[in-house]
Amino acid sequence: MARDRGQSEDYAGPFKRLLLGILVLCLVGLFLIWRIDSPRVERFRAQVVDQVVPSFDWAMAPVTGVVNILRDFQSYQRMYQQNQDLRRELQQMKAWKEAALQLEQENARLLDLNNVQLDPRLTYVTGVVMADSGSPFRQSVLINVGSRDGIMDGWAAMDGLGLVGRISGVGSNTARVLLLTDTSSRIPITTQPSGQRALVIGDNSPSPLLDFIESPDQVRPGDRILTSGDGGVFPAGLLVGQVIQDRTGRMRVRIAADYERLEFLRVLRSYPKDRINDPGSMIGPAAGPRARAADQANAARAGDE
Amino acid sequence: MSDPVLPRVWLMRALYAALSVGIVFVNLLPISTVPPSWVGPDLYLALTFAFAARRPDYVPILLVAALALGMDLLFQRPPGLWAAITVLGVETLRNRAPALRDLTFLSEWAAVSSTLLVMTLTYRIILAVFMVDQAPLGLSLMQLAATLLVYPLVVLVAHAILGVRKRAPGDLEPARGRI
Repeated sequence: MARDRGQSEDYAGPFKRLLLGILVLCLVGLFLIWRIDSPRVERFRAQVVDQVVPSFDWAMAPVTGVVNILRDFQSYQRMYQQNQDLRRELQQMKAWKEAALQLEQENARLLDLNNVQLDPRLTYVTGVVMADSGSPFRQSVLINVGSRDGIMDGWAAMDGLGLVGRISGVGSNTARVLLLTDTSSRIPITTQPSGQRALVIGDNSPSPLLDFIESPDQVRPGDRILTSGDGGVFPAGLLVGQVIQDRTGRMRVRIAADYERLEFLRVLRSYPKDRINDPGSMIGPAAGPRARAADQANAARAGDE
Repeated sequence: MSDPVLPRVWLMRALYAALSVGIVFVNLLPISTVPPSWVGPDLYLALTFAFAARRPDYVPILLVAALALGMDLLFQRPPGLWAAITVLGVETLRNRAPALRDLTFLSEWAAVSSTLLVMTLTYRIILAVFMVDQAPLGLSLMQLAATLLVYPLVVLVAHAILGVRKRAPGDLEPARGRI
């Protein structure tokens, strides 16, 4: 035994220590590179995730399914009561559906009167949640659509009810959705009916903080929260949730999306709006033969079309 | 069967790797996407420490580094830093393993606790110095405590079911190749 120990110190010791040193240096170096050039390393991370997680998928989907069935099993025991509840809820929903249909017709009429063009490009891609972040300190999910399906960073992801998060990190087959509850998530929003601008700031709790409110006095618990689209990176008008007040009196968001069961997510295609950069050219026709020639060329082109 | 020493070691290494991948798999399952108010133990670390403090030859440092780096990448942690700290912590325990062999379980637990505490503090300090967003202090302390509490269980499982036992003085197995 003693000989064994001596041997390893004599021969293997220095070599092992060298190996250990190199190893630790490499790992710390990777951390430093990540700190300096984060996007490149994050892209590498997205590629690794893209390779690894789909290979787990054959086992992951059934295991998740079984766990959910087991969890649902408790609810079978009070089937009757649940049935009653659902029936009552259905009654209410029918009333709401009538109201919604009437409102939809009214809305269509009003839009027609105003001649409003809705953005035709706001379509969506639906993806299935494959995995979560795996760590209790990070709130994100991985969905099974990626750059192959045209997903791009910064697009919004919703479930049927409301905003879930934004795309942050795209692999070829997978994309990561940063949830509103993650500590690095910030979304510009506007409240209704008070119309105040604010930010929804994730803090790793089920209801994110509402901060940087223009005038906090006007925001009341119960106000609806919609994305405002400020900054032009996020589509406007998506439902986020409702304002609530926590015990310390701070404004928080009760998220409309059902975070208990995220299964199918819609990723909204959104493209940055065209910007108007040149200030004066629309004010009047420029004088001079050159402009006139351009006008004629335009007219000719219009005639061709 | 000609050389029974080598297969046993490699078998245990493969078992360790498989268990680690299993832990990653369970962590990645999208069962709950609501932010938790409590945090479970870091099972991978408990497993690695249990192996390293008992049979260092079952956890080659390259394997530990590869697994830890993979977890850093998959779990959205700053890549490399926690892996480097894990490698250093495991190496410390491996060096102390011959001394721990003759002591009781309590002293082993104390050694593991002190290592893990130093690792967590170092991690948080380095992240603070580099101004990286980090998890709330309460949650990471909770994870530390949970890992320490679950450690005896992991050791029990490793000892009774997986057969990871300290080398006893009369143990012939490691010497068989030399006889």
